[in-house]
Amino acid sequence: MNTKHFAGVGLALVLALGVPAAHADLPEHRIFAAAGERLLLWVSSERGRTEPELHAAEQLAARGVETWSLDPVNAYFLPQLPRSMDAVPTPDMVEWLRAALARGKPVTVYAVARAAVPVLRAAAALAPAERARLCVMLAYPNLYTAAEPLAEPAYLDFGSLAGLRVHVLQPRRSAATPWLPGLLASLEAQGAVVRHAILENLREGWWMRETPTAFEVAEGRRMHELLLRELNEWGCK
Amino acid sequence: MGMIAGLLLAGLVQAAGFEARPASPAPQLKAQDLAGATRTLSDYHGKVVLLNFWASWCPPCLREMPSMERLRVKMVGRPLAIVAVDSAETREEVDAFLAKMRVGFPVLLDPDGSNTKRWKVFALPTTFLLDASGRIRHVLTGPTEWDEGEALSKIEALLAEPPPGPQR
Repeated sequence: MNTKHFAGVGLALVLALGVPAAHADLPEHRIFAAAGERLLLWVSSERGRTEPELHAAEQLAARGVETWSLDPVNAYFLPQLPRSMDAVPTPDMVEWLRAALARGKPVTVYAVARAAVPVLRAAAALAPAERARLCVMLAYPNLYTAAEPLAEPAYLDFGSLAGLRVHVLQPRRSAATPWLPGLLASLEAQGAVVRHAILENLREGWWMRETPTAFEVAEGRRMHELLLRELNEWGCK
Repeated sequence: MGMIAGLLLAGLVQAAGFEARPASPAPQLKAQDLAGATRTLSDYHGKVVLLNFWASWCPPCLREMPSMERLRVKMVGRPLAIVAVDSAETREEVDAFLAKMRVGFPVLLDPDGSNTKRWKVFALPTTFLLDASGRIRHVLTGPTEWDEGEALSKIEALLAEPPPGPQR
């Protein structure tokens, strides 16, 4: 093996494992490079990035979907709490989205739980033409400003989400499922074009539960398939 | 990972201990029990009511349920009704769970989540303590041991209040 070949193997290995990417204006993220048409920006939840998510990102890249993985908790040294996601700097997220759009591939942002908040704030801050090029997939998004027993829920106001295409993935086994219509209505009222899918027999964070069901374990291992299926069925480009 | 499973998502909703409420009217409760009979709060008028919203997929809900059953046994003959409303699951899912954990208090079904929404329940378990007049006095988001400590004290305090007049 000559040096050039060795370097090539090394590069391939690094790309397969995810390359840390740092830029003065961008949050630190890992890139799982792929030559395919699509670019997926994966924003992990307030629980931090998990091994099953990294595995799924690798599998997506192996199937041609370039994946950039952002763990806001790690990137900004934040506590693992929902409210931490509200502290992610919007300008950084905007620059991240713009860097992705500049690649020229169709871009889908996938955000989990409260991580939907910095993503939607950044999307709202984009110019309308930029926002219209973006697809956003949200897993059980937590967009409450208040959710107290016996009181009407209140949702965050992001400003204009006009033209933003949003697909919500909602596990059936979640206290939020009965409230999904209100959440969707809130996004629509802000201009987003919304659709949703119910994920049967799953709970929130199914890939990182302490006591997962056998089905959750299996679905955690094949999370990339679920995401590919949703991306393909949605057809947002 | 330390996921507090049932305190789900609402995310901003954290276990916060009992929250006292100024005696306020309760939302409508209208749900079928396992025998198919429609139950409302008026069925329990004159009793202190522990109204618990739960689901079979929610580990903290299942963790506190044995303490609810012990409380039921401890309170036999006293005017306390323990009522568990299963939130947004099918009858089959509830039956499968109750085959494994037998409880002596009534379980009501809320398959379409309509009661869950009327009571504005955003996390599971959520429990309401109602006085004998049917007014909400305490709310707890998250699990507890119902047959001891603060939970038992609050129930005893409600039981010690003068009984209400006849229902109008």
